[in-house]
Amino acid sequence: MANETITRRIDRPALVVAALLLASAGLVANDASQQTIVSTYGLGPTAVPYVVSICLAILGLTHVVVAFKDGIPTPDKADTGAILSIVAGLVGLVACIALGGGFILATALIFACTARGMGRRAFAVDFAIGLVLGLGIFLVFQKLLTLSLPAGPLEHLFF
Amino acid sequence: MLKSILLRSAVTALALAGLTTAAFAQLELKLMAPASPGGGWDGTARSMQQAMMAAGIAKSVQVTNVTGAGGTIGLSQLINAKGDGSQLMVNGFVMIGAIILNKSPVNLTQTTPIARLTAEAEVIVVPTDSPIKTAKDLADRVKADPAKVTWAGGSAGGTDHILAALFADAVGADAKKINYIPFSGGGEALAAMLGGRVTAGISGYGEFEGQIKAGKLRAIAVSSPKRLANAPDAPTLKEQGINLELLNWRSVVAAPGLSAEQQKTLSDAVEKLVKSKEWAEILKARGWDDAYLGGAEFAAFQKAEQERVSKVMHDVGLVK
Amino acid sequence: MDTLLALLHGFTVALEPSKLLFCLIGVFLGTAVGVLPGIGPALTVALLLPVTFKLDPAGSLIMFAGIYYGGMYGGSTTAILLNAPGESASLATALEGSKMAKAGRGGPALATAAIGSFVAGTIATIGLAFLAPWLVEIAVHFGPWDYFGLMILAFVTVSATFGDSPLRGLTSLFIGITLGLIGIDKLTGQARLTFGVPELLNGIEVTTLAVGLFAVGEALYVASQRAHAPEEIIPIKGSLWMTKQDWKRSWAPWLRGTAFGFPIGALPAGGAEVPTFLSYSTERRLCKYPDEFGKGAIEGVAGPEAANNASAAGTLVPLLTLGLPTSATAAIMLAGFQQYGLNPGPLLFAEKPDLVWGLIASLFIANVMLVIINLPLIGLWVKLLAIPQPWLYAGILVFATMGTLAVNGSPVELTMLFGFGYLGYLMRRYDYPVAPMVVGLILGPMAEAQLRRALQISLGDPMILLENPGSATLLGLSFIALVAPFVMKGLDKFKAAED
Repeated sequence: MANETITRRIDRPALVVAALLLASAGLVANDASQQTIVSTYGLGPTAVPYVVSICLAILGLTHVVVAFKDGIPTPDKADTGAILSIVAGLVGLVACIALGGGFILATALIFACTARGMGRRAFAVDFAIGLVLGLGIFLVFQKLLTLSLPAGPLEHLFF
Repeated sequence: MLKSILLRSAVTALALAGLTTAAFAQLELKLMAPASPGGGWDGTARSMQQAMMAAGIAKSVQVTNVTGAGGTIGLSQLINAKGDGSQLMVNGFVMIGAIILNKSPVNLTQTTPIARLTAEAEVIVVPTDSPIKTAKDLADRVKADPAKVTWAGGSAGGTDHILAALFADAVGADAKKINYIPFSGGGEALAAMLGGRVTAGISGYGEFEGQIKAGKLRAIAVSSPKRLANAPDAPTLKEQGINLELLNWRSVVAAPGLSAEQQKTLSDAVEKLVKSKEWAEILKARGWDDAYLGGAEFAAFQKAEQERVSKVMHDVGLVK
Repeated sequence: MDTLLALLHGFTVALEPSKLLFCLIGVFLGTAVGVLPGIGPALTVALLLPVTFKLDPAGSLIMFAGIYYGGMYGGSTTAILLNAPGESASLATALEGSKMAKAGRGGPALATAAIGSFVAGTIATIGLAFLAPWLVEIAVHFGPWDYFGLMILAFVTVSATFGDSPLRGLTSLFIGITLGLIGIDKLTGQARLTFGVPELLNGIEVTTLAVGLFAVGEALYVASQRAHAPEEIIPIKGSLWMTKQDWKRSWAPWLRGTAFGFPIGALPAGGAEVPTFLSYSTERRLCKYPDEFGKGAIEGVAGPEAANNASAAGTLVPLLTLGLPTSATAAIMLAGFQQYGLNPGPLLFAEKPDLVWGLIASLFIANVMLVIINLPLIGLWVKLLAIPQPWLYAGILVFATMGTLAVNGSPVELTMLFGFGYLGYLMRRYDYPVAPMVVGLILGPMAEAQLRRALQISLGDPMILLENPGSATLLGLSFIALVAPFVMKGLDKFKAAED
């Protein structure tokens, strides 16, 4: 530590990580403590979780120390809009599958949203490409591999 | 571009192989395998699909895979498909244990039982150089000190584990004290047996057959009511004075809330399947034993097995 | 000598035109299906099993061999090009491979993977032909304590993937180990950390975590940086083929990878992951250009890919000699044998020499065919990277979802995939390495299960780990690997002080 001018600023992200690690440690230990059944011979199902919990706690405390010292690397500026666009696509995809919208629609959604997040400004075109891509994949999986992908109204047209 | 060529040739190859020249019936079925592709239930489902299409019993059979939680996720989906007369699901003995172990909110009694299809006997083996020669020798050891008798078998709460527990129970030892070591997959358990790491091993007969025939393992008992046709030398547990029978069966069930007519359609289709020569060929090729049991008898059988497994799992301490 | 004659006879079976055709079809189908992420060799073989049903046993098994090896090749292609490891064994390949692909070195990466697979596959198949009966004797005597030692050794070497901060590397590793605790406990059947969600009972799928952290996480990260520091993907820079330098840097990793992969693959619970990790960390330590690691070092692709393929041949050792299926793929191969009423095992070599040796011979042929088919394809694969960036990443996300949906199509699984994706993005932002997390998820449960089995057999006596020569040696090696870097550092300092 040759540098004398260490800025005494608390690194917030490191503290968040510390809090999450400590919370996980608590969660793991708590779950282990609630196990009612232990094996008759050797180590039970709770031994390793307790060890892991202790390690997580140590890592958490180390992060607290780090937060008051150097902190963890500060990230570059992020483009929130781009992230939001892709996340919206991912959430939309899960919703589409969960609500029975089918694979093809879900594919089109994620494709168009990701392309938008990566800077393209032609949502309708991308959506159409996504539809075609989804249809192709669906047919290959369903007809050739006999693996069923989630089906919705669009997919039922092809049966 | 190139991929499409690859796929197109894949189409051709698959189409050539899948050509079936049977007359098309009207029935359209959805058959769920509550496990990932490639597993045992999936194999049964895809074999059923193959035979039903080839024998012209159904116009289409679509196999779907619903994975997770020992098949209980698939089971809850089936129960949600109330009144759907085209939905079938493959299940079996193992699912009963999984339902209890996973504290599943759904239950096999909520489904419409259709038929039991196949069954496999379990076998208890020891390494050839083991001093244990008969099931009675093993029983004596288990009675003397259950901790010292290590059992190798499949997953906790599975068929192998239940047989070990029932064995201890039947010979008058404490089932809770058995030293059962679950291995993932038959291969690992078999290696532990061959390496002499454990006292005895349990598995479906087919999995150990090669080793038994090659003289590396000694089959000291089979769990079926009668000796097996392909292993006449292996005595049953009953013959050796241990009152215990256990079969690892597979069956097919349908969604709840079906009309009598819907139920009959499905039962008839499965009965036709079981009697078809295509099914017989598959059974032979795969080494499965026909154990067809239909309708009400199957329902009663399933219920009895459920009670038996539930009791054993409490005895062993797998559930409290 | 008998073995050699038998093998030559095998070649006369496998070189019949019809058999060659089956092999070619198998290789083709295997590669085509294996390229799809989430569909590893096991599933590929399972899906194509009905195709082979109508053929005669020898033809069908030969086609199988082609599909099996083809599936292995396909898996590494997506790992390198799309950073989406479709199976846990191609994880280590993705680490350096995807970095190479982005830097315009996708061609050499794919080439070293293909040729390395060929070299490893060929050597391992020779091993299978000549050493199998001997190797298998050792393999079955590997007890749970020995496996535990092997896992610990793998754990210790994982630090090679930590990047520049041990704290952040360990954090990532332990999050992975924690994730590994989720699900049904293998030894007692009790649910751990499932919080009543039935989908969690089966545990966290390795491919879900890997594809989430790697492919989805990276897509998010690249998008977030686009405005300020746009990423540049160069499809081809310099030679499409391996340069002289690449060859020089690849051959030793190929051989070392094979040396890890084949014996560990032959162990009944060895698997393909452990040898790929061991190979990766070995290459990282031995590499003459350590700075390149993490930015696309060819050794990091050559070694693990060879290890991966050699272990695939290794799993055939217990399968053919004992009838022991030690991997998901081997289990399905076994089903393939059984559909003809054949039981692999000690008797098969004696009863059906034509078939066994025909199969082994066709493994050699499949290897040759794969390298001939795959090398020209590299040029086409690399062109994929020339797709405009928005579409490329959109396509990668579609691919990632597709694999997850086909194998386990529940919204819960998808949510996990994307949750891990976001976590992967955050970890990249704050410079936490993602690879240790996946390693923790893979090795953690294996190590725990083996340790507990060992202690169950010894009735709780931990000395069993030190009493057995195998486990004692492996644990000793782990200890050395752990302290050696510190000792070396100390020596260096000491020397520096001397000067």
